[in-house]
Amino acid sequence: MPEVNTDKIFAAFLLRLEEVAQIEDFDDIEKEFLGKNSLLSEERKSLSSLNEVSRKKYGKLLQDLSNNITSKLNEEKTNFKSKFFIQKELNDNKDISIDWYKNLGSKNHVLTNVMNEVVDIFAAIGYTVATGPEAETSWHNFDALNTPDWHPARYESDTLYLDNKLEKLLRTQTSTVQVRHMQNNKPPVYIVAPGRVYRSDQLDATHSPVFHQIEGLAVDENLTFSDLKGTLEYFVKEFFGKDLKTKFIPHFFPFTEPSAEVLVSWKDGEWLEILGCGMVDPNVFKHVGYNTDSQGFAFGVGVERLAMIRYGIDHIKNFYENDLRFLRQF
Amino acid sequence: MKILKSWLNDWIDIENISNSEISEALESLGFEIENKKELNPNYENIVVGKVLEVYEHPNADKVRITKTDVGNNIYEIVCGAWNFDVGAVVPVALPNSEIKDNFKIEKRDIRGIQSNGMICSAAELDLWDDHDGILLLDEKLLPGTDFSTIYSSNDFIWEIGVTPNRGDCMSYLGIARELSGYFNKKLKNKKSNLKPTIANILNAESGKIKECNSYGSVEIENFNVTNSSFEMRYRLTQVGTRIINNVVDITNYILYDIGQPLHAFDRDKLFGTISVRKANNNEKITTLDSQVRNLDSNDLVITDNDKPIALAGVMGGLETEVSEATTNLLIESAYFDKVSIMKTSRKLNLISDASIRFERGIDYKIQKYGLERFLMELKDNQTINYSEINVDDKGNLKNKKVILKYSEIKKLLGIDLKESFIKKVLKFLMIDSEVNKESVQFTPPSWRYDLDRPVDLIEEFAKHYGFNNFESTLPQGVHKNNKGSYWDLKSYLSSVFTSNNFQEVQTLSFVNNVKNFLFNPEKKYVEVFNAIDQSSKFMRSNLMSSLIDVYKLNYDQNNLSNSYFEINTVFDTSKNKIYEDIPNQNIVLGFLTSSTLSNTDTRLKDQELDLYYVKNILTQLLSSYDLEPITKPGFHQNYSFSIIKNGQIIGHFGQLATETQMTLEFNNEIYLGEIYINKLNLNNLKEINYVPLSQYPFVKFDLSFSVPIDFSAHLLVDEINDLLTDNENSIEIFDDFQQENSRNLGIRIITRSYEKTYDDNETREILMNISQTLESKFNITLNSSKND
Repeated sequence: MPEVNTDKIFAAFLLRLEEVAQIEDFDDIEKEFLGKNSLLSEERKSLSSLNEVSRKKYGKLLQDLSNNITSKLNEEKTNFKSKFFIQKELNDNKDISIDWYKNLGSKNHVLTNVMNEVVDIFAAIGYTVATGPEAETSWHNFDALNTPDWHPARYESDTLYLDNKLEKLLRTQTSTVQVRHMQNNKPPVYIVAPGRVYRSDQLDATHSPVFHQIEGLAVDENLTFSDLKGTLEYFVKEFFGKDLKTKFIPHFFPFTEPSAEVLVSWKDGEWLEILGCGMVDPNVFKHVGYNTDSQGFAFGVGVERLAMIRYGIDHIKNFYENDLRFLRQF
Repeated sequence: MKILKSWLNDWIDIENISNSEISEALESLGFEIENKKELNPNYENIVVGKVLEVYEHPNADKVRITKTDVGNNIYEIVCGAWNFDVGAVVPVALPNSEIKDNFKIEKRDIRGIQSNGMICSAAELDLWDDHDGILLLDEKLLPGTDFSTIYSSNDFIWEIGVTPNRGDCMSYLGIARELSGYFNKKLKNKKSNLKPTIANILNAESGKIKECNSYGSVEIENFNVTNSSFEMRYRLTQVGTRIINNVVDITNYILYDIGQPLHAFDRDKLFGTISVRKANNNEKITTLDSQVRNLDSNDLVITDNDKPIALAGVMGGLETEVSEATTNLLIESAYFDKVSIMKTSRKLNLISDASIRFERGIDYKIQKYGLERFLMELKDNQTINYSEINVDDKGNLKNKKVILKYSEIKKLLGIDLKESFIKKVLKFLMIDSEVNKESVQFTPPSWRYDLDRPVDLIEEFAKHYGFNNFESTLPQGVHKNNKGSYWDLKSYLSSVFTSNNFQEVQTLSFVNNVKNFLFNPEKKYVEVFNAIDQSSKFMRSNLMSSLIDVYKLNYDQNNLSNSYFEINTVFDTSKNKIYEDIPNQNIVLGFLTSSTLSNTDTRLKDQELDLYYVKNILTQLLSSYDLEPITKPGFHQNYSFSIIKNGQIIGHFGQLATETQMTLEFNNEIYLGEIYINKLNLNNLKEINYVPLSQYPFVKFDLSFSVPIDFSAHLLVDEINDLLTDNENSIEIFDDFQQENSRNLGIRIITRSYEKTYDDNETREILMNISQTLESKFNITLNSSKND
């Protein structure tokens, strides 16, 4: 019986595997040991000349060899591939500590963020945003808000006027929106009015001729001082955190009575005033054409102040200089 | 206003109440605490000394040597001041002591004489500024007494805010009155028996006008103008008032003490009847500060035989001023109308302690007491004589009765108050009242002008009930999480710009004319009448100049960015279409970007932006819109466009004029524009038109046409869309090659039928149809076509 030594062939095959240097070598080896002209193929052709017993026996021997070579080849090929890719990746060397892609703005101004947040907090309890003009009549800014011409409060606000008769001005408070809104809408009213206000101050660390306020107004049946208190406590907790303590102290605003200021207990126990509020004065209802027995409350909060307290910002000037070194931090 | 604890204790016994309790009381009564601090002596080891001998220094002319009794010793002390003599009682800094600012005093040799310490001035002990020299003390003090024990050197001071409605609290009496209610302690009485010894020689009256309700006066003779008492000088200094002399100091002291402004005239410079009237137009008076004031008929003047001698309630006249030579006085204590004093003081910009009190309203029954208090401060002065106090009171002022129903309290505050509480509050507010079953009828006291409506009294009840004792309830509106169309629109616009690397900024609204003129020469600008700064007295008519400033600032700072936007109001004087009587104003979104980043590294170097980049942002924002070329000041001749949506101009954008760019020294091209927010409708912007997806394979053509230089590529896209209107299409320009006078436009068409798969013939037909239609309609030539 013509017989080749299958062990010897397999040993030769193993030796060839050791020489593999690149993935293509596996194809060559496959051709060499399993291809048309391989020793194995030659032997298979000669099988037909054997008797049945020998053919069966020898055929199985050849088939086993073929299977062994194929499975070993596949195994080695898989191993080689994964080692190859691992090595390739190990050779990639990006220094991730470098920030090649720079932060190019893509942010809202910190004041906008604060205003958005306050609006969200109040929208959640049913307040809608209202707006009004920034260049206003003195009537809307003062008279309608119970601050007639002779009222001392009118002179404390350092108003910027737009005419020599002092009839037009740049609003000194967003409370003007209360007036505009009530003139055009019947109760119930639940609004917040974020916006710019103006004062006659030079821009420096603590003053700015332009700043932002958010006015709130609620007019509805049976709103009481307790409702005002609960609303503002809710706001403070939502904005600054649940653990913050608040207190209400009496104050004076011409357009509310009783009037109060809200203080929060900040780091190191210091009490900081953060907003003014009160029950809407009956005279305001009279001026906007509401029934004088209407009832509601109003509040006003300084946006710059909220931002300065929360982030520890030292200069109000920073908000308006728009140096990216500042803007990017928020 | 500054409140000194020791002074307050004159009115109400608070010595044993802790400072923190008092702070809490002040705050809960509505006085904002602006500042508070403990006062301690800024010196150490100072004693009272008595000068026994004074003699020349053998080696120096400018100093003298004293022998001073300091209690257990008699020291030789060299002194450079000359305002004292033998017998003077003075503060002495002993060896090893400290004066102001930790300055150590030791024995030292002064030109051969050993000086055992130093005799001190008030300034050296950090008490007050003086230029007289040594601080002379009460001669009754014993040598060796610890100086810090002769006055309340350990004290506490609060600086509180008094709201404009509470003029009555602008005095120690007023604050004490509030605290007496809070602490349930009685006010101390300051009364004394006065015995007039001379007759009035002048006649003083309140005049015919209603603006002076009462005019009180007293005449004092044989007065010696000198320093006021140590305690008075100390107290006035602590509350921030400059020390002048005993006359002025006492008038100031009474003003702080009880809130009644007083004015002192040199009686020997007065001649006839003292009265009050309105000034004549253009009448003049020289005030204490030597300024000539031009008056008008709104101003009140005090007159002597009709000649103005003082600007009532605001400032005295120079001519009748008290000087060191004065011996006889007339002291004025009057009630002037709030509004009148306010107008004069604002007009002349003369705001004094007196004018502030008058304009907020002083107690209309306190004029006589003011003069009594003045005389009481002179009770130790044996030499003076004084007249009867004369008050001419018209009696026009009377507080009205008001009725408050209990139901109103409940309605506003949401709480039921007990009758006993109501009675208690009324009592300590010293309010005259009649408490009934369902209401209380009350008359406010003469010092309260803020209690003329029921709601005013409700506020008092709420305050004394304690704001922090109220329950907290949270009412809610009906429409939750509905921020309204403006806010939603603004948020949407911001999100599109920020997601494209634009940084939002907030710039001031004031600009100079040049900045308005650059982009809006056709408009009239809104001008601030009392501008803070003449160089920026106009309201801006556009946001673009502000954005250029921001760009420049960050460019100069070498900050890495180039894209900014702002949403704010712009102003001009044209008619306001929504509100009458006010300038036209619109909320605008302004944006700006430049072709390159201001500060780049090598990797980002080639990342150049252009006009198309900006256009793409508009597409993201508006989805569909048209651009129409316009000529706009400040913009590039060819790159300036109106943005049109739904037939309406909703903004404009383009490239900054090259000349302006060069003037501003920018290396980069600047693209900028504005969107008029009130012209947009968010629903319209976010409208979605769903196109179903075809289930059939696409056919794709790349066509290249030869077109004229000024051809608008969009025409081709629109036309092809029309031709393939029944299909699902994607039509894009993929190439625009320009060379001298020739231009090739590459257009890529991907189209799918909703009904079938196109065979080769059909595909060819579509291509033919498109190319022929375009060629004939636009008079252009197809160069090549590729179909795959």
